[in-house]
Amino acid sequence: MSPIVLGIETSCDETAVGIVNGRNLLANVISSSVEEHVRFGGVVPEVASRAHLESMQQVINQALLDAKIKISDVDAIAVTAGPGLIGALLVGVSSASGLALALNKPLYGVNHLNAHIAVDTLDSQEEFRPSIGLLVSGGHSSILQINNLVTDVIVKGSTIDDAAGEAFDKVARIMDLGFPGGPLIDQQSKSGNRDLINFPRGLTQGNEIEKHKFDFSFSGLKTAVARYLAQTPNHKKADVAASFQEAVVDVLISKSLLACKESGIDNLVIAGGVAANSRLRELARQRCENAKVRLRIPPASLCTDNGAMVAALGSLAIAQGIGPSAIGVSADSAAGVNQIIWA
Amino acid sequence: MSITLAIDTSTSRTSVALIKNDEVLFNRFHDDPMAHGEVLPKLVAQALGIETEIDLVVVGMGPGPFTGLRSGIAFAQSFSFGRGINWIGVCSLDAMAAGFKESDFLVSTDARRKERFWARYIGSVRDGQPQVSNINELLKLNLPIFGEGDYFPDPVQLAKLAKLNDSITKPIYIRKPDAYPVPKNIKFRVMTNLDLISASAIEKQVYGKSAWSLNQFKEEFSKVPKTAQYLVAELDDEVIGYAGIVFNADVADIHTITVMDSQRRKGIGRELLKRMIDWARSKKADAVMLEMRLGNDEARPLYEQIGFVEVSKRENYYAPGVTAVVMRKELK
Ligand SMILES: [Zn+2]
Repeated sequence: MSPIVLGIETSCDETAVGIVNGRNLLANVISSSVEEHVRFGGVVPEVASRAHLESMQQVINQALLDAKIKISDVDAIAVTAGPGLIGALLVGVSSASGLALALNKPLYGVNHLNAHIAVDTLDSQEEFRPSIGLLVSGGHSSILQINNLVTDVIVKGSTIDDAAGEAFDKVARIMDLGFPGGPLIDQQSKSGNRDLINFPRGLTQGNEIEKHKFDFSFSGLKTAVARYLAQTPNHKKADVAASFQEAVVDVLISKSLLACKESGIDNLVIAGGVAANSRLRELARQRCENAKVRLRIPPASLCTDNGAMVAALGSLAIAQGIGPSAIGVSADSAAGVNQIIWA
Repeated sequence: MSITLAIDTSTSRTSVALIKNDEVLFNRFHDDPMAHGEVLPKLVAQALGIETEIDLVVVGMGPGPFTGLRSGIAFAQSFSFGRGINWIGVCSLDAMAAGFKESDFLVSTDARRKERFWARYIGSVRDGQPQVSNINELLKLNLPIFGEGDYFPDPVQLAKLAKLNDSITKPIYIRKPDAYPVPKNIKFRVMTNLDLISASAIEKQVYGKSAWSLNQFKEEFSKVPKTAQYLVAELDDEVIGYAGIVFNADVADIHTITVMDSQRRKGIGRELLKRMIDWARSKKADAVMLEMRLGNDEARPLYEQIGFVEVSKRENYYAPGVTAVVMRKELK
């Protein structure tokens, strides 16, 4: 029988709890403190940490109600142990430790980044195949080679300056659209002309592509947008947003498909908050079809930070016979993708 | 029969006790200001090795450094949720004070940034809410002080107090988050000649003898708008703070960020600083510099958080014997 795993996520501004039964999603409850951060144009760690503690018990309780189970039915606890904001992570890890000891059930400290990819296995009958992973969020933009979701993930490249989601936030701020930038720019772009302005595609030209084949750079793009806005008084916001978005999405997909081609892996998984972007999803579908690469993108609702992804990765670890983390597992704010399950 | 699990993580010490009626079954601690999250589960696991049937969880609600404090509270709440039992929150300073016989005294714990969390006890009852202040203000009260290091909140006392008082349900933070949202009724705008008089009045209130005179202010302000930017913060049409930055060659130098005493800790200084940096960026400055008095630790964490690093010290900068610390933030 497949285990019931409760997953807790508090690495940034979402207090989230998900429950899975093997690979079936039973509950996914998210309480966000994003409203409190809007004034700053970014997440304030102490504000986020306070909000996590305040809503944690309610969120756990709601997830159990949604899943129609009792806390005593839970077979294992999984928690994001890194990377993320250290004060925020610790609320989740301490809550998870308290639950695990109370229930006398195993605890799995898991990596937030790998969890973003693992969520793709939920409610799917297929076995996971070795894949190229494009992980794009507010904190990370990486191309991964995933041989095994729980034991073997290699970084092929990552951003050398801003993360993709960060670029969205910053450009939204320059354009005075608000925070968080991703959904706002996505929305604006729908009525804009994405081919109007040819914004630069970072690290795709000349000897830069040699040195940084699978790396990204979005800082020059951000500057180009700022310059364009300053020099073009009669610009239409929708056109600027759409052209900026196209530049980001174009590079992300081109480099991912290049990684597929080079490694001979014809599966691509796109995950992380930016994977909710509608243009990214659309263009990825077109280009993967042309390149005969099988594309997987989790539903948009599971792309942004959530507890279900944490539970999903914990559940995969159990299925592969990985032992639980030690009592007193520590959070690591800077954990890399090769630290998948904490010892 | 009743078994209580008591937890405190409000100081550099993580303490766990297990109390059966009045008998202490387990009472252990570990001293490490950075490891509450790791230590606490280990200590509780040891306690559960002695007795696993718990009826009540009692937890110290602070005041204390936020991250460690929250680890204890998050753990306690989830543990009691997992067991389907109650939890009770108690002021940690009360558990520290409970052992003393003096009729009038203070207990105090480390609040970091050279400040102390403290409370006064008269006839073993706490006098008012716990507070945070500079150590010198505590010394002025001229009372016996029982401080962290020699003394700590005692989890056995926490368990006793839980029976006597109503539960405290929220962490005792006292301090607001560093970046507390700037109140909505505060407005920021460019300084004009008309603001000079109110600004120099604040200057005098905050800096006393070393304040800029009105004439110095006028001179600085005359560089606007070419190479300088001055902003004011306003509440109900009254100036409550201001900041100025001057652009020299490749580097922008923040000359002042000043907020009226009564309006501190509302995020106004941070907002002014952010706007100064934005302006420097718009002028394509390579870096932003600022000077502060050595010992001005209140603002330093803010500067560091925003990316300023100390580059040098200048002795006798403000006045004889007063050293300036020069900090720099790269923009490129
Ligand atoms: Zn994420």
